[in-house]
Amino acid sequence: MYTFIAKRLAVAVPTLLILIIFSFVLMFAAPGGPFTNERPLPAAVMDNINARYGLDQPYWKQMYDYVYNVVFRFDFGPSFQYRDRTVNDVIAQGFPVTLTYGAWSALVALVVGVSLGIVAALRQNTWLDYLAVGITIGAQALPNFVMAPVLVLIFTLWLGWLPGGGWNGGQWNHVILPVIALSTSYMASIARIMRSSMLEVMNSNFIRTALAKGLPMRRVVMRHALKPALLPVISYLGPAVVGMITGSVVIDVAFSTGGIGQFFVNSAFNRDYAVIMGITILVGALTILFNLLVDVLYAWVDPKIRY
Amino acid sequence: MLLDVSDLTVTFRTNDGPVNAVNGMSFSVDEKETLAIVGESGSGKSQTAFAIMGLLAKNGASTGKVAFDGTDMLGLSPKQLNKMRAQQIAMIFQDPMTSLNPYLRVSDQMAEVLQLHKGMSKRAAVAEAAHMLDAVRIPDAKARITMYPHEFSGGMRQRIMIAMALLCRPRLLIADEPTTALDVTVQAQIMELLAAIRDEFGTAMILITHDLGIVAGSCDKTLVMYGGQIMEQGDTEGLFEHPSHPYTKGLLRAVPRIDRDDDELLTIAGEPPDMSNLPKGCPFMPRCDIVKDQCAVVKPALQFDGGRKRACHADRAEVANV
Amino acid sequence: MISQSDAKLLNDTAALADVRGRSLWEDARRRFFRNKAAVAGLFVLIAITLFAVFGSYFAKYEADFVDFSLMGANAYQGVPSFSSGHYFGTDIDGRDLFARTVQGTGISLLVGIVGSLVAVIVGTLYGATAGYVGGRTDGTMMRIVDILMSIPFMFVLILMLVIFGRSILMLFIGIGLISWLDMSRIARGQTLTIKNKEFVEAAVATGVSPFTIVLRHIIPNLLGIVIVYATLLVPQMIIFESFISYLGLGVQEPNTSLGALINAGANQMSNGTLWMLLYPLAFFLVTLFAFFFVGDGLRDSLDPKDR
Repeated sequence: MYTFIAKRLAVAVPTLLILIIFSFVLMFAAPGGPFTNERPLPAAVMDNINARYGLDQPYWKQMYDYVYNVVFRFDFGPSFQYRDRTVNDVIAQGFPVTLTYGAWSALVALVVGVSLGIVAALRQNTWLDYLAVGITIGAQALPNFVMAPVLVLIFTLWLGWLPGGGWNGGQWNHVILPVIALSTSYMASIARIMRSSMLEVMNSNFIRTALAKGLPMRRVVMRHALKPALLPVISYLGPAVVGMITGSVVIDVAFSTGGIGQFFVNSAFNRDYAVIMGITILVGALTILFNLLVDVLYAWVDPKIRY
Repeated sequence: MLLDVSDLTVTFRTNDGPVNAVNGMSFSVDEKETLAIVGESGSGKSQTAFAIMGLLAKNGASTGKVAFDGTDMLGLSPKQLNKMRAQQIAMIFQDPMTSLNPYLRVSDQMAEVLQLHKGMSKRAAVAEAAHMLDAVRIPDAKARITMYPHEFSGGMRQRIMIAMALLCRPRLLIADEPTTALDVTVQAQIMELLAAIRDEFGTAMILITHDLGIVAGSCDKTLVMYGGQIMEQGDTEGLFEHPSHPYTKGLLRAVPRIDRDDDELLTIAGEPPDMSNLPKGCPFMPRCDIVKDQCAVVKPALQFDGGRKRACHADRAEVANV
Repeated sequence: MISQSDAKLLNDTAALADVRGRSLWEDARRRFFRNKAAVAGLFVLIAITLFAVFGSYFAKYEADFVDFSLMGANAYQGVPSFSSGHYFGTDIDGRDLFARTVQGTGISLLVGIVGSLVAVIVGTLYGATAGYVGGRTDGTMMRIVDILMSIPFMFVLILMLVIFGRSILMLFIGIGLISWLDMSRIARGQTLTIKNKEFVEAAVATGVSPFTIVLRHIIPNLLGIVIVYATLLVPQMIIFESFISYLGLGVQEPNTSLGALINAGANQMSNGTLWMLLYPLAFFLVTLFAFFFVGDGLRDSLDPKDR
């Protein structure tokens, strides 16, 4: 198991390094360099940048410094836009918000999706199954940037039940709509995957053996069918988390939650490369880490995987 | 009589209409007796076993009567049925590679039977399970019981299946093609094991197979199925020596034998019947050598004739002479 | 001399070959047209394409014509009506929403189709090469795909859009380039099975070069599955583009796409100009569903897995 994790780490670390270097190269490949802008930067900001990046140094030296600072000191440097803020400040402000509703969304998608999939599979071809399948198909075609305005339209403008934006320190009523908007399509995908894998597992020979042993249905499902049926869901978690992190950008914009997505988009408009790069690298590290966790989880569940 | 099946019919709802997999089967098994159900694939022999155990697929339904020691198996609630399974009737399956749960340790899979049915503690159940693995001659059972199924060979897995089926000392063991998926040498070992178990535990057995070769030495009675119906039924020895049904005869001729000097292995011409559209008369008629006028119209009844039951319009002498 | 049974066998084989000869595509077409949802989807798609191509002839206004008298007053004066010629009403700048929806649909379709073409071409070539060459090369190439899969490309794409400027061309390439990964996996899997077929072995034996074998023998046999996944990719590409445009980082004014229109509509929801959201949203959803249905229908009729 440990060698397995070590092997995966041996791939994950270079991946992250490549991502960092690639972003850095891209930034300097920008026409006219990263610091020539339509608007001249304020002198104080320019000083910050000069001090930090040593623009008189050769490129490789600048890159080395950047990578070194990011990797070993977790320091993304100063913002290009705000004089008194670093990229770390921006992340420290936005990341907890994104993490909060992101974690809730992942939990909701997983729990609701898996339960819905199991129920639909066990009650195959009943109204419950058709309802679940219907919800699944509908929700899959509703990307989060469609969900967000529609939810606001219904729950804020028409019903007036929930606030249509803001964060308010993460008060529960501000969290609900972002979580629904972000989790629904992943919930639907998980339900669809779970349903079909559950159906397949329930038709397998070892389930028949379990039934022939006189085990009650409940026990057969929970003990014999659940684990193998969850495997495809586990492999889907990797791409799902990438999608959710990406989707958080829309949620931040649509609900003005103040998460990193909002800073990301603002920085994109203001050409604040430092913030864009910092967030891109952070998000990349997160997804790589999460994919690693998913791999380990999969290997842990499936005894047939040899490390 | 331990098991008394009468007029058992199994029907599956499919997109192409209902399919009758089993059509009015009647037979019985006595205490400690071994019955072979023989037929080619698709003849409904496995579905007969699943119907007895209440294990039919969701779209399947069975009618008729299955009495196990006086209890009607078809009328039981799921809870009552679970009590019968494993404790009274146990079953082993064709493919030992996929019949064990690959995600659970052998110890867990075996112990749960005893924990559930006998209320044993986990520790006691695992110890008992290891004993049973010893009994089916798995070497080093105590150490290997905590392994996963994929760490065993096919023959070993079938031994585990047999041990698991015997845990509660069932009175009837249904073995559905227990050797089909195994190597020839392993097949013989498994058949020996089953025979030994029958002697040791006094378990009645239904052996479902398409392989007449393994029936001869191991079963008291034999039942030949075709198109979901019984063609012929009687003592194994008599049936093998003097088959009185054209289909039985064809089957026996298709068994390769070293003591006969045939150049070519005979087969039964034609194809197995379409179960969703069986002929009105005898299902075997399209492939039969001795077709009578009524064969196409009248289904031959299963009747006592010369010490065994047979369903054929031709008389015994005619069949014997072909 | 041919015995009677041999002759019969020959006859049967000939008949079989005859059926096979035309059946692959013929069969697929028959299957497809039996699938009502798929046929309905196809008709809807044709209608939407006609709308996007010829819709501008029915519009009374140009898409970028700004009616200053309606600017900011569209909530009560820019209501959808036939008499004013603004069939779908006007937007906040007094522009005709019908003309803009026509334009947005067209651009969304274009990005979707070109993007999935790029993805399919890159993915198929990459996957077919990896699968055909096999061995270490295959291992390395697929490992690279695994690594790339764990990178949140939407962020990198936005970074690139910011650096190189936002243009439709950049969108085409960027969206296509982040979506070829799945395609390459599918193409590789199929290639592995085709590779061992007799006609490929025959080509190898007669000394055809590997490159020619991939182009002449492998890729044509991948065509069925490629078409299916290309169809299923188009709605994904449309979603991607709309995602970026929703954030305001995609198609630039005065051009527009469905995502940009949805964003504009969502921003104006509380002003009582719901049509700004609902018309583009309706076109967006109908297009997505139509593609899903057609793609599913094609998969059922072409994918050998389900046969």
